[in-house]
Amino acid sequence: MRFESSRMERPEDSARVVGVSVCDSAPLLWRVEDLRSVRRRGLVGALLGSLPRSPRQNCRMGRPLLLLPEEERLLGESRTAAAALPAPRQDGAQLELRVRRHEEEQQRSFEEQSVLALEDRKSSLLCAMTSPDTGSPPEAGAMDESLQRRLEDLDRSFVFPRSALGVQLSTARAGLSYCPEARAFLQAEWPIRGGQNGLSRDTKYQVFRDLRGRGFCLTSAGKFGGDFLVYPGDPLRFHAHFIAVCLAADEAVGLLDVLAVARLGSNVKKTVLLCSPAEDGAVTYTSLQWSGMV
Amino acid sequence: MADQNKAEIDGKFYSEILSPSELFAARSRSHKLPVKGQKDFIPDGSEEQRRRLDQSLSEHWSLISEERVERLGNLVKAKWIPAERIVELQSPAGKFWQTMGFSANGKQLLQPEEALYLMECGNLQVFSQDLPLSIQDGYESFLSSSSVSLQQYQVFGHLKRLGFVVHRFDPSLEPSCYVRQLNLPPSRDRAARQQKRKRSPSPGTTSRSVDQTRPEHQDSSSADRMEEEEVQEGHRDLSEGHLSSTSSAGPAGRGRSWWQTDTPQDQSDGSAGSSHTHADRRPSFALFPDLGSKERLSSALLPPDPSLLPGGLEVGTCDVASWRKKINLREVKMSSKEREREEDRSRRRWDVNRDRQVLRCRNWAEYRELLSRRERRSRGRQEHLWNHEVTPLHDPRQPISTEELLEKITVTQSTNLLEGASSIKEWDEWRICFSVYQPDTVADFRKSSPGKPYARVCVCSFDGPVPDLRAVKLLTFQSGDVPVVFAVVDCGDLSFYTFKDFQLPTDVYP
Repeated sequence: MRFESSRMERPEDSARVVGVSVCDSAPLLWRVEDLRSVRRRGLVGALLGSLPRSPRQNCRMGRPLLLLPEEERLLGESRTAAAALPAPRQDGAQLELRVRRHEEEQQRSFEEQSVLALEDRKSSLLCAMTSPDTGSPPEAGAMDESLQRRLEDLDRSFVFPRSALGVQLSTARAGLSYCPEARAFLQAEWPIRGGQNGLSRDTKYQVFRDLRGRGFCLTSAGKFGGDFLVYPGDPLRFHAHFIAVCLAADEAVGLLDVLAVARLGSNVKKTVLLCSPAEDGAVTYTSLQWSGMV
Repeated sequence: MADQNKAEIDGKFYSEILSPSELFAARSRSHKLPVKGQKDFIPDGSEEQRRRLDQSLSEHWSLISEERVERLGNLVKAKWIPAERIVELQSPAGKFWQTMGFSANGKQLLQPEEALYLMECGNLQVFSQDLPLSIQDGYESFLSSSSVSLQQYQVFGHLKRLGFVVHRFDPSLEPSCYVRQLNLPPSRDRAARQQKRKRSPSPGTTSRSVDQTRPEHQDSSSADRMEEEEVQEGHRDLSEGHLSSTSSAGPAGRGRSWWQTDTPQDQSDGSAGSSHTHADRRPSFALFPDLGSKERLSSALLPPDPSLLPGGLEVGTCDVASWRKKINLREVKMSSKEREREEDRSRRRWDVNRDRQVLRCRNWAEYRELLSRRERRSRGRQEHLWNHEVTPLHDPRQPISTEELLEKITVTQSTNLLEGASSIKEWDEWRICFSVYQPDTVADFRKSSPGKPYARVCVCSFDGPVPDLRAVKLLTFQSGDVPVVFAVVDCGDLSFYTFKDFQLPTDVYP
């Protein structure tokens, strides 16, 4: 089975390298461009942070994006991810310079915003003055004069308080994408993380890679008792079709476990896929469907 | 592999910083979230679907790329202190102070997870080395496996966004089972609350002269008394050593020793030939002063033999008049029919005092032997069953309730979750991270006395082991009477599980 995913991947973006920053041994992406390019490759990940527009809800989350270990490994193998630069350690003169620059920038921003605020006030005054609800049409001359006076007053007395200054709380850290030395990570062994043993991780990775290659999008499925949730396209638009459970080809599975996972799948109206990678890399899929005795 | 984004390397400065005009324009931003439309079932390659997907994606990116912009006056300034892993406020705290943070050394402080949450909400701006921290800096500096891990922060943030009040759990502050059992009042001024317990006056141990303690209803004839005393003397040899009479010892003088006899007519049948037709007879070894019967009018107990008392103790006569006044206060008035019924019942009742064989016993050991002999005989034909080590579970002639009988044949014992929990030693793998309080108590929430939490949370992951019975017992015990919830983190998704104690109903009426 293969789905058309032509719109998801543009050739010039596919080789773009994303910077993965590690937080408590978890791979996170912070920059919007990195998230975009990763999504174009069909990797969905999971958003962890609060959404800036509406931080006190759990339906829609914001950056950072957490990558699945399989997603991280896929990016590493295709040389499209590099370890992002850590926060630069600065002290002494360099630090002072940065602090001063920050203060200057804030001052500049304050001055610009004061100007903008004044203009904004003037324009709202104009709107209010030139379209009043009066019965008799005012004399044009008198209107202009009082308006002029008001505007001049505003120029003189307007004060933009410091507390009204708009300040940005940056999500991602500003800085270099990565310096040439850090790119050495691309070639080097991708750091191994996670608590699972190597064998089960390999099994999961092979299944992941195969399904991704066929055009499906995968996310984690711990809640459904499986390893991955398989979407026929972007999860924003489509419901998941399958719950993928990864098993090694020679792994023994108890009948009760099979029954349990089949029951779960039928309750949530998804087909359960038992996936086992063969030695040559091809993966065999077995679907479970609950049918009656008849 | 060819490098197609060569332009980006070698020093390109990446920033998502907004210009001042953008910052100014941010004040008129909308705060509404776009509604998530219906999903499709299968991609059919249609233009309509493609358009909808593009729209969803563009909405998604515009939301994700939006940066936080706040008025400087709305932001609380704070400083990150890496050495103590704590955030110190530098301007007065806002509304969040009611449920978050703590004071120490005259400063207002926040835990790192609280500070990071407030940063994400846009309420707090944290500086480190005089430069503002980005959210990414916050995540990387505040979260680590040694203080608060990323998974724990995910749970913390999730619960806070739902409105709960979440605090770190400190097991040492939790009162132990014993303290809770004592149910001490939460008093600050213990001295003021102490109430002197009213002490009931102890029964008067006034030592009165023996002459006054002589019971009034004694036989007028002194001859009888003499006979009694003789009988007492005779008994000294027969009764157990420690019940020796001291009719001539101490202030009691010639008074009777109450532990031997207590009725003037009491005669033990130890000595042959003594008249024992009187109904009021008791076994010689089990004589207890009858202070309750109507006939007994003695109002004092004579002091015991000093040889029976621990050295140096002097006990006078015990005046029981005050106690006797408190009993038998009401005359039970029975109709003639009731009286008949009562007499009938008492006639049929088997009085152990009239049992000859019991009277023949001279001490407790003999009495017990008599009882066991009788028991053996009562078994009858099944006596052989009872002779060996393994005896029947129950003698069918004895009454027993169904519940007790079932308990005798039960193979398994029901247990509860906390059984044996106090002896489990702590270990690092499983521990309670947070205490969670209900959101609707936020208005009256006081950090100094938060009250009983709604639940306690232990954070784990689907990658890790499932909590075994030992872990569940340990955590339930640590948490006291607050339920423990396991928050399982799965790469961005959270599920909550809890274990509850359950008793199987027994269909037996006791």
